[in-house]
Amino acid sequence: MIEFNRVSKRYVDHDALRDVSLTIGTGEMVFLTGHSGAGKTTFLRLLMLLERASMGSLRVDGRDTARIKGRNIGRYRGEFGIVFQDHQLLYDRSVLENVALPLEIAGFRPRDIQRRTRAALDKVGLLGREKANPAVLSGGEQQRLGIARAVVARPRFLIADEPTGNLDPQLSAEIMGLFEAFNRVGVTVIVASHDLALISRLRHRIVTLKAGRLVAGAGQ
Amino acid sequence: MNKPAAGLGIAPRASVVSWIHHHRQAASNSLLRALRLPVATGLTWLVVGIALALPASLLVILQNIEAVTHDMRSPARFSVLLEADTSLNAAEEILKRIESRVDVRDVTLIPQDQALARFAADTGLVGLLDSIPDNPLPHTLLVNPLASVESEGLSDLAQGLKAVRGVDQVVFDTLWQARLAGVLQAGRRLVMGIGLLMMMGAVLILANTIRLAIEARRDEIVVIKLIGANDAYARRPFLYTGLWSGFGGGLLGAIMVGIFFIYLSEPVNQLLQLYSSDRRFTGLGIMGVLNMMFLGGALGLLSAWHAATTQLRELEPR
Repeated sequence: MIEFNRVSKRYVDHDALRDVSLTIGTGEMVFLTGHSGAGKTTFLRLLMLLERASMGSLRVDGRDTARIKGRNIGRYRGEFGIVFQDHQLLYDRSVLENVALPLEIAGFRPRDIQRRTRAALDKVGLLGREKANPAVLSGGEQQRLGIARAVVARPRFLIADEPTGNLDPQLSAEIMGLFEAFNRVGVTVIVASHDLALISRLRHRIVTLKAGRLVAGAGQ
Repeated sequence: MNKPAAGLGIAPRASVVSWIHHHRQAASNSLLRALRLPVATGLTWLVVGIALALPASLLVILQNIEAVTHDMRSPARFSVLLEADTSLNAAEEILKRIESRVDVRDVTLIPQDQALARFAADTGLVGLLDSIPDNPLPHTLLVNPLASVESEGLSDLAQGLKAVRGVDQVVFDTLWQARLAGVLQAGRRLVMGIGLLMMMGAVLILANTIRLAIEARRDEIVVIKLIGANDAYARRPFLYTGLWSGFGGGLLGAIMVGIFFIYLSEPVNQLLQLYSSDRRFTGLGIMGVLNMMFLGGALGLLSAWHAATTQLRELEPR
């Protein structure tokens, strides 16, 4: 469970989040929406401990994230799968090696890495492209590769920041379908997107931020 | 909301098998990455090699000088000149007394007649010495100390010999040996000093190479930290980069010393022959080559550890 309790994030020149209180249940899928600058990315960055809240508390499965420090941050982040709008793939490694990375970091055995990596690639429809360089894949394929990397270690939370921002409507729907599939097996999914037309078609809670304030979707 | 799946969650971290696997992977990838950039890698190895080759060459030369001068050193021996009026019997008594010392190996008596005859034979002054009514030379004892007696013990022995009744003078010329030892000691320190300076230079160069390598892979590091890698995981490939750079530099340095040795050995061996020495100019040897490689590797590891630890700490996802 993720609990934001009166969380604010203040930068030197502006407030990115103001007094946000929100609970996301385990196994829930939530869309985070709002205009550019509404605070969606800051919300996710606080969750990933890339930033610290200026005020309020953020608890994940009962743990106060303010107390997570140093080498434990890596371990904490390992519980999340993250999908970026710009994929953030490593182009000097093959498709297989990109997907295997979270498993290597998490300390899986080599044979388990092979098995799980192939399974993840199969789920996103990229089995057979293991040896390819990510640079030769299309935008949609690169995003699916990013998703495979995000889910391969079976994270408890899957976070996506504008994952369909660069994709056409058909591919966007395909990607959302993948997120829903992972949510169906119990992964808590949080997707930041400003594509209201797309997310309103899916039957999940939509949390709306406006100028750093939570304006809709606070209740489960 | 869907039910959480049973068994989801992250596996126990870093099993030994996986840890070894990642080390092997980091080691081989770092080496391949270095070999894919032969010019840059070659230049780094060359700089490290030169930094190690200079003190190593000086050390080889010094060791050869030490070996040659060791051969030239005569064992320590005291000439104990007895008082002029000492009889032969008294001289033999003194011999026994000195021989009983724990720091003396053996004592030889050269009676004054024998000493004069030897002097006459050595100098060719037989006729002249025959005309001298009294033998001006005293009985002499040649005292050989035990081999284990070092410089301070030799001084004590000299004092002890001087204190024996009937002894007039104790002659022991150690000055040239002391001078030689001093020169060699200074030489050793010079080599150590140059070696330390050159190694510091090598460490700085390697650290800079690692910093550049980290900078070149900044995006990759940010991504792997974002998906859960800690600093140790991110640092590992760079430690191997440092290790390989040091190993390669050490090997290249050993090759340079080898070439220098081949270039120098012929004239030096001729010189040694002129001094009737059985010695031959000797190089690093296999152990020397391995030592240089390990020293280079250790320096590389040290540089990489320092550079990567400080830089990766600052390199956080933004």
